[in-house]
Amino acid sequence: MSEPDFGTGKKKFNVYVIGLVLCLVLTLIAFWAVMPPKYSPTITFSLIFIAAILQFLVQVVCFLRLNAATEQSRINLMSFLFTVVVLVAVVAGSLWIMWSLSYNMMH
Amino acid sequence: MRVAAHVQNHHQEADSIDVFGFWLYILTDCILFASLFATYLVLHKPHAVGPALKSYIDLSYVLGETLFLLASNFTFGMSILALYKNKPALVKAWLILTFVLGACFVGMEVNEFIHLAREGYSWQVSGAASAFFTLVGTHGFHVTMGLLWIIVMIVQLSFFKISDHTKRRMIYLGLFWNFLDIVWIFVFTIVYLMAVI
Repeated sequence: MSEPDFGTGKKKFNVYVIGLVLCLVLTLIAFWAVMPPKYSPTITFSLIFIAAILQFLVQVVCFLRLNAATEQSRINLMSFLFTVVVLVAVVAGSLWIMWSLSYNMMH
Repeated sequence: MRVAAHVQNHHQEADSIDVFGFWLYILTDCILFASLFATYLVLHKPHAVGPALKSYIDLSYVLGETLFLLASNFTFGMSILALYKNKPALVKAWLILTFVLGACFVGMEVNEFIHLAREGYSWQVSGAASAFFTLVGTHGFHVTMGLLWIIVMIVQLSFFKISDHTKRRMIYLGLFWNFLDIVWIFVFTIVYLMAVI
């Protein structure tokens, strides 16, 4: 009998090990880039953010195992994507508003 | 037979709705963290008042914390795999290991907070410091609650063995524990690594 996974994805040992290795590598790259900072701030900044976003995707795919295989998992995936949209709106929106406020106060 | 299958089906559907509800809780928790991140970023603009976090943090220490949390995530995955294979003792062993790794993380974080406060970077020195302690503290609090939950889960597994209920609860706990590691990726990138650049 197959285990019910409630749309949260079946965990697999191989996928877990691959996920762990990728996460380790990405974490080490991010820390290596700033201990001490090796490149110009813009490059370092992009590097650690690309590493973070990649690691986020690796964890979502390998550990959370989000997928679109069943109806239930598609609902999970859609609500997840919607949350990502809200997150970006909250964070980018706040920064935009505060930056523009600060700009208008100084000029 | 058909009635039994129907009941089983119905049961699973109800379970799926339960898990979806828990998933929605986690997503709303993400929004809580997003607002804390936004607050932190706004208060940490380059010329913010108060001492800079940069001179107080030790990145190799933070790397240690990160590795503990990542390892605990992996061991939790192993306990889910043991659950699939119906091996209660193995599930509990992996859960205990997850607990130990998670407790190391929380211990290191508390120690770091005490250290920061002693050196003069405490909660009340600036808005930026308040935002730092709120964001990192909220994450640490979630991990602490996760640790309590792991203990509860170990006790439940001892009493109820591996049943449909304990399986479903393990899935909840797995989602929660994984979510905490995902939030931590952004904590160490935005709070610690960006502070140093």
